[in-house]
Amino acid sequence: MGQDSSRLDRIEENLIAILLGIMTLLTFANVIARYVFNSNIFWALELTVFMFAWLVLLGASYAVKKTAHLGVDALVKAMNPAKRRVAALVVAAACILYAFLLLKGSWDYWAPYANLPPTEGRWFPMGFVEKFRGNGWYETQDIPVPFFMRWLEVVFNQGDAYEKMPKVVPYLVMPLSMALLLYRFIQAFIAVWKGKIDMLIVSHEAEDDVEAAGAAMAASEEK
Amino acid sequence: MELLLLFTMVIGLMLIGVPIAVSLGLSSILFLLIFSDSSLASVAQTLFEAFEGHSTLLAIPFFILASSFMSTGGVAKRIIRFSIALVGHFRGGLAIAGVLACMIFAALSGSSPATVVAIGSIVIAAMRQVGYTKEFAAGVICNAGTLGILIPPSIVMVVYAAAVEVSVGRMFLAGVIPGLLAGTMLMIGIYVMARVKNMPKGDWKGWTEVFASFRDAAWGLMLIAIIMIGIYGIPGVTGAIFTPTEAAAVASLYAFLVASFIYRDMGPLANADGTRVSLMKRPHALITAFWHEDTRRTLFDAGKLVVTLMFVIANALILKHVITDEQLPQKITEVMISYGFGPVMFLIIVNIILLIGGQFMEPSGLLVIVAPLVFPIAMELGIDPIHLGIIMVVNMEIGMITPPVGLNLFVTAGVANMSMMGVVRAALPFLAIMFVFLIMITYIPWISTVLPNAVMGPEVITN
Repeated sequence: MGQDSSRLDRIEENLIAILLGIMTLLTFANVIARYVFNSNIFWALELTVFMFAWLVLLGASYAVKKTAHLGVDALVKAMNPAKRRVAALVVAAACILYAFLLLKGSWDYWAPYANLPPTEGRWFPMGFVEKFRGNGWYETQDIPVPFFMRWLEVVFNQGDAYEKMPKVVPYLVMPLSMALLLYRFIQAFIAVWKGKIDMLIVSHEAEDDVEAAGAAMAASEEK
Repeated sequence: MELLLLFTMVIGLMLIGVPIAVSLGLSSILFLLIFSDSSLASVAQTLFEAFEGHSTLLAIPFFILASSFMSTGGVAKRIIRFSIALVGHFRGGLAIAGVLACMIFAALSGSSPATVVAIGSIVIAAMRQVGYTKEFAAGVICNAGTLGILIPPSIVMVVYAAAVEVSVGRMFLAGVIPGLLAGTMLMIGIYVMARVKNMPKGDWKGWTEVFASFRDAAWGLMLIAIIMIGIYGIPGVTGAIFTPTEAAAVASLYAFLVASFIYRDMGPLANADGTRVSLMKRPHALITAFWHEDTRRTLFDAGKLVVTLMFVIANALILKHVITDEQLPQKITEVMISYGFGPVMFLIIVNIILLIGGQFMEPSGLLVIVAPLVFPIAMELGIDPIHLGIIMVVNMEIGMITPPVGLNLFVTAGVANMSMMGVVRAALPFLAIMFVFLIMITYIPWISTVLPNAVMGPEVITN
């Protein structure tokens, strides 16, 4: 399990790094295209925006796993361990509710673009809607369809050609990321229950660096 | 009434330790499901539109990436050397140089905790060695570190610009004079204290050292020039060259090239023992640098920061949606005007809210919650949107160093290996200076608005 999960870590970390790297290069390439070649990569902006959404939404579940989400720890740090545990259980439960509701919302949002039925019910999914209108023909503004994704036309558009990438592709990240988020929050709940962690947050982004710097300072004082 | 419930829930969830993003998102979702007829699908859409509908926010990942490449220890050291060469010979010189280094680094990094860590871990130790007390050193860095969000380019300003739809370029320009002013006020304060307490002074190493250290630091400083010239152009020569987002992306690539090939602090040309290899000896580095472990690590670290920050912002935009739908600002404005509150009273209330909030919360998250709420009210009262932005940024700066729980106090305590109370006491005299600064910023709009109006023309308020 340990080996497995660290390999998964590596995949997620690389995905985050690669998405950010490509976003940067793509935006840069567009600037070069404009000034040097006097043209424009017309789909660059839209693609970068979608990659940005994928980066953040998929990264959110990774951040749960690594306890990297930002929060307010002033009150929690003042609690005794027993109270902290109760608070953390409530916190994890709230997070699960959040991810669950958004998973339903994301499915309902994405499904029509994939010609799939959204769910019934306001709070909880109560089965699928029987009559709905498929939106598989909806396209993005600018992004072309690469040749290896032509199969999308058969699956989502009754074989009619897409001029641009259908929205079903970029929007897929919504249900996908929320399902992952739900999974990670459930794992966090179990970890709190077993007493492995007592908080789901950090108070600021540089926490690790601060620890390292403090240790170095302490070491230099001992000399 | 329902809205009071909403905000109580947001704050309550946050205080028990729910991630800020989830507190904002969950409260908004529950509110919408109970009190309105919005569906969960529309909430999901709002969440996705945080990216699809706000291309201003796209600048954030690139600014974070640029600063990650620049936040290596090497750049901080070069900036500190340059600062010491410039002002180290005054009485209290090392402390003044610390402030100057924080100001320069702040311009590169845009984050306050990052500035405290990078500059503080070097300068605090150096100050102790030449005879300053550690408390004084910590107090100086703790305060100067907050300049990170005020001196452009600043991520917090991008967030403000996106949240209330003003120009990022204007916000950056508006931060220039206040940033310089705050730094100067801190330096004067230190100089006076140093004269009174007869603190150590360094030696003047001559102009050669100034030029040598400048040449060494210049590659890093160029980053600021690229961004500023890119966004505004060179007056009289060219117009704007890039959008702020493009400027940030170009800056990221530039920072990567400088870090890997010129400073060689990281990447294939840096040896593990700190020595560097010439590109001539390892020409394939030009290619391998792109997937070198250090590059991957920096991209990932920056990406992780983007994720946590943007997840908060995306959820805050759901809350903004609720606030706007419920016309909350209009309701508050009516109440305020019926009680006869004017702009002065309003700004005091904004000051207080942000000072309290700024103690607990990461500034971008706080801003994106408070801005949509107070912005329409401020417009109604005739306050300049850019001026309001600067007030909010300065407020949060001070919130970060206000006891009992300011974020920068914690960071400094960690970096300097001191108790929280020790840092609080050390920071107090400088906190007083910053409060004077806050009052100046709040009631003299000119300080914030003169530069953007001069460069970009008077503002046209559309909404």
